[in-house]
Amino acid sequence: MKSLSKANLPQFLEALNQSSQVYVPVVVDGTSRFIPWEQGAELVLDKNSNIPPKYLFFPQTEDLYGYKIYKQSGERTELPSAMEPFVVFGIRPCDVYSLEVLDDIFLTKGYEDVHYKQKREQGLLISLGCLEPEATCFCESWGLNPLNAPTADIMMLDGGDQFLLKAQTEAGQKVIDSQAGLLEEFQGEPPVGKPCTLTVETKGLMERLQPMFEHAVWDEISRKCINCGTCTYLCPTCYCFDVLNKTRGEEGIKYRCYDSCMYPEYTLMAGGHNPRPTKKERVRQRFLHKFQYIPERYEGQIGCVGCGRCIVKCPVNLDISRVITRLWEVEADV
Amino acid sequence: MCNCDDNHGASPLLPVVGKVIKIVEETPDVKTFHVTSDEGKPFTPMPGQLGMVSLLPVGEAMFSVTTQGPDHLEFAIKKAGTLTGVLHEIEVGQAIGVRGPYGNGFPIDLFKGKDIVFIGGGIGLAPVRSMINYCVENRDNFGKLNIIYGARSPEDLCFKEDLFENWLKVRDTQVHVTVDKGDDNWKGNVGFVPAFLEEINPTPENTIALTCGPPIMIKFVLQSLAKMNFQPEQIVTTLEMRMKCGVGKCGRCNIGSKYVCLDGPVFTLAELNEMPSEY
Repeated sequence: MKSLSKANLPQFLEALNQSSQVYVPVVVDGTSRFIPWEQGAELVLDKNSNIPPKYLFFPQTEDLYGYKIYKQSGERTELPSAMEPFVVFGIRPCDVYSLEVLDDIFLTKGYEDVHYKQKREQGLLISLGCLEPEATCFCESWGLNPLNAPTADIMMLDGGDQFLLKAQTEAGQKVIDSQAGLLEEFQGEPPVGKPCTLTVETKGLMERLQPMFEHAVWDEISRKCINCGTCTYLCPTCYCFDVLNKTRGEEGIKYRCYDSCMYPEYTLMAGGHNPRPTKKERVRQRFLHKFQYIPERYEGQIGCVGCGRCIVKCPVNLDISRVITRLWEVEADV
Repeated sequence: MCNCDDNHGASPLLPVVGKVIKIVEETPDVKTFHVTSDEGKPFTPMPGQLGMVSLLPVGEAMFSVTTQGPDHLEFAIKKAGTLTGVLHEIEVGQAIGVRGPYGNGFPIDLFKGKDIVFIGGGIGLAPVRSMINYCVENRDNFGKLNIIYGARSPEDLCFKEDLFENWLKVRDTQVHVTVDKGDDNWKGNVGFVPAFLEEINPTPENTIALTCGPPIMIKFVLQSLAKMNFQPEQIVTTLEMRMKCGVGKCGRCNIGSKYVCLDGPVFTLAELNEMPSEY
């Protein structure tokens, strides 16, 4: 394990930024999110970012291809797709794990999403472990470790006036080796973290939910939801997207952008039929997708990493941890 | 995972720029579009598979490929929304985007060696037709074909040339047509499809029933088939959902943990009975 003096952090980031664009968590207009690092940036490293770094791999809007239209002919044009290497500095273990969920979605089951894949190949993850999970964090309930993200390239812990760094992949080791001048060997005991204070029962949840599709509890759970979609936009594992056009004159771009299962238009068909016509079906879809459908489809994968963002930001306090608790409380066969 | 044997290339969302070479006006609100491209047929689907049709800059939507020729695909499209409204205004020669094929298609092996009852309603005959024509082209692999089709009125019957000429010439094939409401020239049956089906009363023995139509028709057809002792394993249908990507990524067309665009659109009733009823 290596140590990096906090005083040397700007130098360390500056050095990394020479070869790869480094993204760091910074407050922009009152909201913390990952943006390109620059000298003097004030990093938010005491708590997780408001907006997950998912968008570095799966942007909120992303161009797919260009096109030109003529009266009787059309032409599809390729967009530049060169992706430069980049570094995500300070990504938390829950958000690292969310990328493994997205890997299953975008890279398996017969089709690889090239747009996502390119970014995943180019992104290097330097993860910061959480010594003091927030009151809304419950990653441990999903079997995750707030101090360690096994698939991060470098795992980092806050050791007071220094960061402790451990390479976990070849790419991570290369970074450590290249910055040897700024790093020292760390001999002491790494800091001990506190456990999550919020816990939910997740063992057997998928099996529990399988016979509960028609359960009356969905009326109750969905009652206060206003279908605003905030939870889906802030969720590090939500991946649903829409495909749309923007056109100027005869040239256009086909792009995709985040969509949300909270909106009626999401499933509304031409002709007027909607398989999920009310908020009850839409709220049920959101929770069953995370707790039952993703595990069923992707061999036990989880659809929630316990980051707690939806708990913090939901305007009507529809708390996902309380939903899970409620799903265990009710009589299963009602 | 390797996907070199499909037609999607590097990105499954990229369309081929094709061309409309023929437009057939089936009914007042259904037109069949024949689509080809500079490289010939844009892709070669199995019966029941889907194609994403796009008209720039209006949008994209998923349709069943109702049949195909050596160099072209056919999409029978009902005027129902924004894109289909504009599609109904285009003329021969129009450039059009197509990508596919998507979905599982009809389970050919399940049908092999068996008699088949096709039950279609309205535009629901479009996907059913892909299987009928496949059986016609591979006639020796299948038993008797019994085609039962209904529409609101005589003018709403799709594929009239097939119904009243082409399919009648096929060996061991019967075509039964009904309308909800006749007109002065209509000499055929008047009545709803489920009752018509019970009147014809096909035997379930060594038979597969394939049905597609409006939800209300399907609901009663399934009841009729049950009455005639068809088992859920013998009943095949194809579903419709709003779709954007076609490859199980964009999220919206799921029924439980199945994606209609990838695991469907074709399901047996036995499979549907295991899934949440959210379609």
